Amino acid sequence: MRKVQAFELLFDIFNAVLMIAVVLVMAYPFLYVFLYSISDPSRLKAGLMFWPQKVTLNSYKVILANPVIINGVYISVARSVIGTITMLMVTGAAAYAISKKHLIGVRFLRVFFLLTMYFSGGIIPAYLLIKSLGLTNNFLVYIIPGMVSVFNMILIRTYVESIPASLEESALMVGANELQIFVYLIIPMSTPVFAAVGLFSFVNQWNSFVDVQIYNFMKPDLYPLQYILYNYLMSQSQSVEQAKRSMNVTAISPQSLKTTITIITILPIFFIYPVLQKYFVSGLMVGSIKE
Amino acid sequence: MAKVGAAVKSRNDVFKIISNQKYLIVLVLPAFILTLVFSYIPLAGWFIAFSDYQLGFSFFSGGWTGLKQFRLFFGETDDAFNIIRNTLAMNVMSLVGGLGIAFIFSLLIKEVSSGRAKKVIQIITFFPYFMSWVILYSVIYSLFSTSTGAINNFLVDAGVLKESLNILGDKKYSWTLIVLVNIWNTLGYNSVIFLASISNVPTDLYEAASIDGAGRLQKAIYITIPYMLPTLLVLFIMNSGWILNSGLDQYLVFTNPTNRPTMEVFDMYIYRYGIKLMNYSYATAVGIIKSVVSIAILYGVNLLSKRLSSRSII
Repeated sequence: MRKVQAFELLFDIFNAVLMIAVVLVMAYPFLYVFLYSISDPSRLKAGLMFWPQKVTLNSYKVILANPVIINGVYISVARSVIGTITMLMVTGAAAYAISKKHLIGVRFLRVFFLLTMYFSGGIIPAYLLIKSLGLTNNFLVYIIPGMVSVFNMILIRTYVESIPASLEESALMVGANELQIFVYLIIPMSTPVFAAVGLFSFVNQWNSFVDVQIYNFMKPDLYPLQYILYNYLMSQSQSVEQAKRSMNVTAISPQSLKTTITIITILPIFFIYPVLQKYFVSGLMVGSIKE
Repeated sequence: MAKVGAAVKSRNDVFKIISNQKYLIVLVLPAFILTLVFSYIPLAGWFIAFSDYQLGFSFFSGGWTGLKQFRLFFGETDDAFNIIRNTLAMNVMSLVGGLGIAFIFSLLIKEVSSGRAKKVIQIITFFPYFMSWVILYSVIYSLFSTSTGAINNFLVDAGVLKESLNILGDKKYSWTLIVLVNIWNTLGYNSVIFLASISNVPTDLYEAASIDGAGRLQKAIYITIPYMLPTLLVLFIMNSGWILNSGLDQYLVFTNPTNRPTMEVFDMYIYRYGIKLMNYSYATAVGIIKSVVSIAILYGVNLLSKRLSSRSII
């Protein structure tokens, strides 16, 4: 019996050490970048650090005064907010409509939407289509193709179907039409699923940069924060000086500049993260119930 | 559709239904049109893989070239071999490694006695999953670049390394880099799913085992793991359907001219030839190969899944 206890104690210690190591591996890279961004570059030595060197917010001041960055913040916020709201409207409305078994052609519509989860025309045909629609070098390319999300449609539909039908029937009885029912009954009653789906859409929009690289790279006015950072990281190896001049910041070191933009870009996600994590766990539950 | 058609006796009835359901139709119409335009019309673009397409002309104006582009991909260079090898190697290793390590990690989280510590560990491990690949690259670059990378500098100073490892640029390290980064990125996500399956284990099983004198190791082996195996199987099967897909965003940041031979995957290759070099017909042909093989794999995996777990993923 004593042997077993010794083994268990040993295991607990080993497990605790391992968990601390995992947490470090997960969190330290972000912590390091944060510490770097608030440290005085002249005091920084190469190598690991666990506390900031002479705290200064100088690089934040310089960067947040930069018109390129400010414009990037506007674009990022605009695409995230507008993209999320329009996606919720279009996808939510369709989700409600196809939850009605009596809708004409509903079986066809469900398959029509579902199939798009399993195939796509590919990068090039999509690019040529968007080009021919005049959506390149255009803010709307961030919004319009993302308005329909079939995955979210399934999540919303599952939730809408769980709303008691009697509520809708009584609304129909007093003369409401489906449009009114959707706006005044379904949306308020489905707030949890709309909030969860909306949050994830927001994060996806905030994190996007591939569409900028493919469709809008000729239009610096339309660069969101992520793409500004991407550009800067990629130009790094070629010519640091050139990139710095193009961003019009020469007062701070390139590594400080990079870490600071990184932290600014993470910040919104960081603040909504606790809610996000909670919703995600419950969202996974929704998914498993569906199966 | 067929059933609806049979039920509807005459044209007038159809109009009647449409007018009765006009609001529902209005609600579904925007999504219908957008899906038609952005998901189905691009399929017509597959036509250009078989023709000599030039930008600015109609899809059908170029001369018919048949399977020339497909032969180019497989016949002329080593590209096909390299691309398929890179894509499969990195995706298979990431999948197996990611699921395997998350499986073990969830088992170990379960053994942490403090509920609060469990929560904190989960919250922290989940964080990288919500970051964009630009952010992840920026963070990894800060630690591993040859000149300013903190870990590289630390290891050189400590005398472990003679000179910095060029893990982001040297083609020797491409696969290691991607697999480790993927495990790091998805650990939190995968373990949430595994922990959900652990929480489904009836607690009286553990109680009964305790009465019989089973230790934690025995409980894990005989109770917890058997409960997690179906989840592992489902995750494995579902993910292997997407084995040829690699996110363009991830490879856009990690691929560079020096590591391209071992880093370039299908999506990056299509991107490079199509968008950068504007060789639309060729890139589309490669895209078609990828799609067709993907669908075949998905179909095969689905058959296997039906056999093994009596559940279909499609």
